Amino acid sequence: MNMIQINDVHKSFDVEVLKGITLEVNQGDVVAVIGSSGSGKSTLLRCLIDLEKVDSGSVLIEGDPLVENGIYAKQTDIQKLILKMGMVFQHFNLFPHLTVRQNLELSPKLVKKQPQEEISANAQKYLKKVGMLEKADAYPASLSGGQKQRVAIARALMMNPDIMLFDEPTSALDPELTGEVLETIRQLAEENMTMVVVTHEMGFAREVANRVVFMDGGVILEEGTPQEVFGNPKCARTREFLTTILK
Amino acid sequence: MDYLGMFYQLLKGCGITIIVFCATYVMSIPLGMVVTLGVRSRVKPLRAVLNFYIYIMRGTPLMLQIFTIFYGLPCLPVIGPYLTLNSRMAAILIAFTLNYAAYFAEIFRGGFLAVDKGQYEAAKVLGLNRSQTMFRIIFPQMFRVALPSLANETITLVKDTSLVFVIGMGDLLEAAKNIANAEVTILPYFFCMIFYLVLTTVPALIFKKLEKKYSF
Repeated sequence: MNMIQINDVHKSFDVEVLKGITLEVNQGDVVAVIGSSGSGKSTLLRCLIDLEKVDSGSVLIEGDPLVENGIYAKQTDIQKLILKMGMVFQHFNLFPHLTVRQNLELSPKLVKKQPQEEISANAQKYLKKVGMLEKADAYPASLSGGQKQRVAIARALMMNPDIMLFDEPTSALDPELTGEVLETIRQLAEENMTMVVVTHEMGFAREVANRVVFMDGGVILEEGTPQEVFGNPKCARTREFLTTILK
Repeated sequence: MDYLGMFYQLLKGCGITIIVFCATYVMSIPLGMVVTLGVRSRVKPLRAVLNFYIYIMRGTPLMLQIFTIFYGLPCLPVIGPYLTLNSRMAAILIAFTLNYAAYFAEIFRGGFLAVDKGQYEAAKVLGLNRSQTMFRIIFPQMFRVALPSLANETITLVKDTSLVFVIGMGDLLEAAKNIANAEVTILPYFFCMIFYLVLTTVPALIFKKLEKKYSF
């Protein structure tokens, strides 16, 4: 099943950062988006969940248009599409005034209006899954970066999304803390969660992703299996990028 | 006059001080919040008007603003007669509220600026609507940053109430002045100081409690 369909998406801030992106993500895909800073990969991800507006082109989520030929859907429809996706940010964006548990429970309570027992049970389940159950009543300020990110992942899972989007989930972490976060994402991949991961972790992209997308200067230069992109890159620019980053 | 009589006189003066403080406070805090939201809105003319209002209120002495509202407005041609306030208290409360709302607006603005943009984004992707985002996510964080400045401004307001004398209202300081003149003693000023200290200690303690509650 086609989960995300991106067609000829253009987006400019002062300069054009997305110059006609077309990409398809199918159910169960783990797509790693790689490329140097400023290549547009984070912007592309943010366009999928309406944190940025595209200038033209289409984005379809599970077949329903978020934006079609540059024209956005109604706000209520956009809201429904947003809730099909969970987003994990580089800087975690946990709510600092709420405990870990409250961070998880806020949106199911306010937005999904689920019964409290169900919410509590889910919070328990997902905190256990990311290994943060014993910190349930701690405030984010007392957690390490890796712990914060795992809580952020659990918070996104609370909304029971079909698709998970990760925007450089380990870039703000100390190197020794990236492992625990990547392990959590790997777990999700094993459970067949559809994911788009913008990352600089080439090892992770190679092992966990089933598709790798290399972006450069606002276009997708290369796309394929990890074996194809890492093992036998077609473009000179991809080769150059990979040799610099794998050094 | 014995100490008890002095104390009684000061206590009476204290009444005006407390009324002006409380009334100004409950009006200027919400007004300040509305002004901040206006200044942060996307409506350009509204922003310009409100910024000009803040500019005037911060850039001129409160005493002059009280004068202007009580004595100045009625002198305006044509509309002047409609702007004549018969109640001194009304003039005082209008001047104080307008002045303090401007300061509170700036304090709140600083608080809002301190809230990371990522908080709005996280709220959005979790499906929270505008008012849920504001009340559940942004306000608590804004408030925490604003608290120390709010405490400062609150204590300043307690003391600024002594300006009511400029249009002939009798407050705590006026009472002390009157006794001091009549009895030729400096003692009332000393008592007056203690009164002010008591009055400022109350908000100081409340804000300390709030800061503790909002430390996360």
